[in-house]
Amino acid sequence: MIDNVLAAAALLTTPILLAAIGGLINRLGGIVNLGLEAMMLTGAYVALAASSATQSWPLALAAALVAGGVVGYVFSLAVTRLQANEIVAGVGLNVAAAGLIGFVLKDYYHSSGTIRLPDVVMLPRIVIPGVAQIPIVGAILSGKDPLTWLSWALVPITAFVLSRTRAGLRLRAAGAAPEAARALGLDPLAIRDASTAVAGALAGLAGAQLSIGVVGVFSVGISGGRAFIALAAFYFGRNRPGLTAAGAALFGLFDAIQIYLQGRGVAPELMQMLPYIVVLVVLTAIGLGERRRRLWQGA
Amino acid sequence: MIKPAVRIGARGVTRRFGGVIANDAIDFAAAPGEIRGLVGGNGAGKTTLMRILQGLEQPDEGAVILNDEPVRLADPADAFARGVGMVHQEFMLVEDLTLLENLILGREPVGPGGVIDRERALAEARRLAASAGVDLDWRLRVSEAPVHVRQILEILRLLYRGADVLILDEPTAVLAPQQVRDLLNLLRRLRDEGRTILFISHKLDEVLTVCDAITVLRAGKVVASTIPAEANIGRLAELMVGETIEFPRRLAQTRSSEKSALSLRGVRALDSRGVERLTGIDLDIGPGEIVGLAGVSGSGQDEIVAVITGLRRAIAGRVAIAGRDVTALSVAARRSAGLGYISADRAHEGLCLAETIAANVIAGRHRAKPFARRGLLWPKTIRTHANKALARFAVVYRDCQEAARTLSGGNQQRVVIARELDRNPRVLVAAQPTRGVDIAGAAFIHRQILAFAAAGGAVLLVSEEIEELLTLADRILVLYRGAVIGEVAGADRSVGRIGRMMLGEAA
Amino acid sequence: MTAATTGVVRTSRLDWAALAAALAPFAVALIVGAILLAATGRNPLAVYGLMLREGFGGESRVAATLTAATPILFTAIATAISFRAGIFNVGVEGVFSLGGLAGAVAGFTLTALPSPLLIVAELAVGALVGGLWLAAPALLRARLEVDEVVSTLMLNFVAVNLTLFLVNGPFLAPGSANSATPMIAAAGWLPRIAPPSTLSLGFIIALALLALYAVWDRLTPLGFEARLNGLNPRFSRAIGIDAPRLILKVMIISGAIGGLAGSAHALGVTHRFVVGFSPGYGWTGLAVALMGRNSAIGMLIGAIVFGALASAGTTVQLFSDIPLEIVDVLQGVVTIFAVVRFGRLLRGRSAA
Repeated sequence: MIDNVLAAAALLTTPILLAAIGGLINRLGGIVNLGLEAMMLTGAYVALAASSATQSWPLALAAALVAGGVVGYVFSLAVTRLQANEIVAGVGLNVAAAGLIGFVLKDYYHSSGTIRLPDVVMLPRIVIPGVAQIPIVGAILSGKDPLTWLSWALVPITAFVLSRTRAGLRLRAAGAAPEAARALGLDPLAIRDASTAVAGALAGLAGAQLSIGVVGVFSVGISGGRAFIALAAFYFGRNRPGLTAAGAALFGLFDAIQIYLQGRGVAPELMQMLPYIVVLVVLTAIGLGERRRRLWQGA
Repeated sequence: MIKPAVRIGARGVTRRFGGVIANDAIDFAAAPGEIRGLVGGNGAGKTTLMRILQGLEQPDEGAVILNDEPVRLADPADAFARGVGMVHQEFMLVEDLTLLENLILGREPVGPGGVIDRERALAEARRLAASAGVDLDWRLRVSEAPVHVRQILEILRLLYRGADVLILDEPTAVLAPQQVRDLLNLLRRLRDEGRTILFISHKLDEVLTVCDAITVLRAGKVVASTIPAEANIGRLAELMVGETIEFPRRLAQTRSSEKSALSLRGVRALDSRGVERLTGIDLDIGPGEIVGLAGVSGSGQDEIVAVITGLRRAIAGRVAIAGRDVTALSVAARRSAGLGYISADRAHEGLCLAETIAANVIAGRHRAKPFARRGLLWPKTIRTHANKALARFAVVYRDCQEAARTLSGGNQQRVVIARELDRNPRVLVAAQPTRGVDIAGAAFIHRQILAFAAAGGAVLLVSEEIEELLTLADRILVLYRGAVIGEVAGADRSVGRIGRMMLGEAA
Repeated sequence: MTAATTGVVRTSRLDWAALAAALAPFAVALIVGAILLAATGRNPLAVYGLMLREGFGGESRVAATLTAATPILFTAIATAISFRAGIFNVGVEGVFSLGGLAGAVAGFTLTALPSPLLIVAELAVGALVGGLWLAAPALLRARLEVDEVVSTLMLNFVAVNLTLFLVNGPFLAPGSANSATPMIAAAGWLPRIAPPSTLSLGFIIALALLALYAVWDRLTPLGFEARLNGLNPRFSRAIGIDAPRLILKVMIISGAIGGLAGSAHALGVTHRFVVGFSPGYGWTGLAVALMGRNSAIGMLIGAIVFGALASAGTTVQLFSDIPLEIVDVLQGVVTIFAVVRFGRLLRGRSAA
């Protein structure tokens, strides 16, 4: 029973983790990206359509990555060049994207709910012989799709890139002190746009995992607010890849438990609230800690 | 390569903003291996000229000269690429990154995959620091580094990027006398290596000490080019202002025996990072007394001001205004008890620039009669009262309904003074009251402070300008590392003495 | 700077540049929508003409537009109050639902009360719930400096899930197919003011609140303090304004109005609380508040435009084969471009 929940949790964590890392990179670049939902949705649709059209899941993933990245980049331009308020623009993007995709669903596919496409090739599940039998560990590691492995790999990779490479340094500088970056000949806006494109690409992959990794169909509600859970994970992680991953894993676990408990007498909505409450608790705890440290900062 | 006669200069540079001519046909030329001073009052055009030389703005007429050739600098990056770099008053450093990371940002030594080669970076950093005669802890975060270290880092960074023209804007504003000497020595070293330094400052004594030549600006024009041997402070000030400015002198006062207007006892406080900054301050100011507070930036002046005004709580000790214990009282309550405050940060604390002048004048009293009655504000009453107060303090303005940011720096400061003194406080805490104010404006402000004291008000004057303290204060307390290290009054008063005390030499 | 953003009252001047800036997002949205329509084989001008007629053509259409505009106007006011004070409160979406549920619950439980009293009770309960709900993030910001963007954003999801839980559980109407509460007693319905349209008294209440907001903004000490704090918090602290107290007051008022908005929506339009109660009214209101630069006139116009869009969209769907989602596309694009040049609001904000 635990094994089942953990296996599910590992799969459910993937889209959250991918989007959360994207959000982290974006935030370090200087944008709080609330439009991840739109990018995730786009990726989910594009992945399904591409998989159906090409019968190749790698191509489908590539398509989702590019689609998400493009949406991210265009959104970023509105924020950096037109100075749109990033929070409201993110919300607007979600509405517009959901609207656009819903429009296409109704108009082109003549469906107002879910679409099923022919010959969709799903992401393969990688079973590791030998490991698969080990309790708990086997459930977590075996039988996962490539994107899940990618999402785990991205955690240390992101941490390394941020702290030890030129790209990471410039990203952090552009986000924290754009004026200083500009004075040194960097282009903080371009860096910011690039970070949003990366976030969009990762969110696109997250969406792809949902459509061709898990359910095999697409509906406008496929992400179910997961992008916002990813946001919660990223707030939980406070700009650190490791902590963010921990948050994503925790919330993935909640999701798995919630599904397991459905029909067993515990209301799903209460579990669905948990990630957000956790973030609030964490922020409050941090606030209390800071206050004690600050001491008489002035009322 | 033949050295050019003019490494950096301007030829006929003119720049207008609407109807105002900020730079009017400016000609000047600095040779390689020269420290050129640039002086002028507020609004003289120094800032605009600097921005043009850096590529932040384009001249409407004329051109920037680099290596004898007129050039068009597209942006600061372009200027930088040509070897022209500026150290701003507001340092362009990224707080969260280390000193090393800030140094290499934009020109990182990398290996494969873009991974930063830390060894190489550190070696280069150490080499630069050694050649400048300084020693830095490169692993420190900028946010933890003291001000003068940040400034050195800014300079080193320019050198790292190959700048050989350094423009420094008011570089000594935040330094103690010893650190100023070190900086000037560093500049001389750099000059001897063949670099060109443009030194903008209103500290005329420093300009005379270190510069090879001085250009004086007034009202957008170059009014003089001279050398230190042929100039002195008085002459420079005259050229800057076009007239002789009389600074009011404080007549010697005997200390009043009346009850203290402002007193601190055993005050200890932390700074914004939780480090103990004040280790036990005792202070007494009587009515009609002006007490000066001197000290290197970071000695605790900010914290003393914050504790008195109520913007920060002390962790121990007592603050009293006119005998009344206000230690536990809010900012609003202390103001009611008779406290006035001129903030050192006019733009972000002294005024709300986006708001109307009238609003800035009555802010803080907006809940009281006659500005508010029956729960509503009365705009007409507010306007009338504001106009009266503004007239009393000779503020030059068009309409009190216009935003405060439309006023010049000097007039803005007068609005601050109008607001604070119009309330007839008993105690005035004045922090850097003439910062960013032109000479004539500064003289006016000094007169207001003296008048306030003459009428019985008590003044705590915090200032980086030791001259200002010597002019106005009856006695000067010197802060060092969070405690009053000594008091200077009467015949003892001199810049040298105060400077030494600021760096820890006991009285 | 328009009259709305400077301080003490002054005569307003028509600012052409500002007007053009205000209209630009709509122009962009219409172009994007036109591309979409044309790409799917329709005539954009015909569609827009239809929408214009459906939005404003005739009394009943105008009434429908105003009905749709009402919740948006409410939420815009609620949000603007916070924004004025420099508090980026995005939690009105959540309290709208909570207030709606609270009002509906009062409406089907306190059935003993006679008409005007019941309405007052319902509205009061909605306002109370909303005010209390936002007091929490207010305290977190005031005492612990927790970023209110994060806290109110998280609370939105908590609120929505909470209402979902309650409406699927304890407050579920017996025998109801889709998750909904029992109907509110007829005595608790907000009366219609222009029968046979569904325009209810809620619209008048919203207008009254708008007027109160304008007065609060320019002519009250609290409005003055809010504006100073929003423009320059260090300054307002230095002159003695108690920021924590101000934040608390302002957020509670914001929450109360947001809760009132939800309750009025339940009483006047849906007459019960159902899943999907708020199709993003809080977010639309937020965009309207920003678009209108927190000014009363601006918000009224913005709310009416978005109301027209929503209302016309629903009926256009009946007369043509155009999916309703075109409205979302238009609305989303307007939202994005409407908040151009408001990046400054988030200067210095570091979320967690």
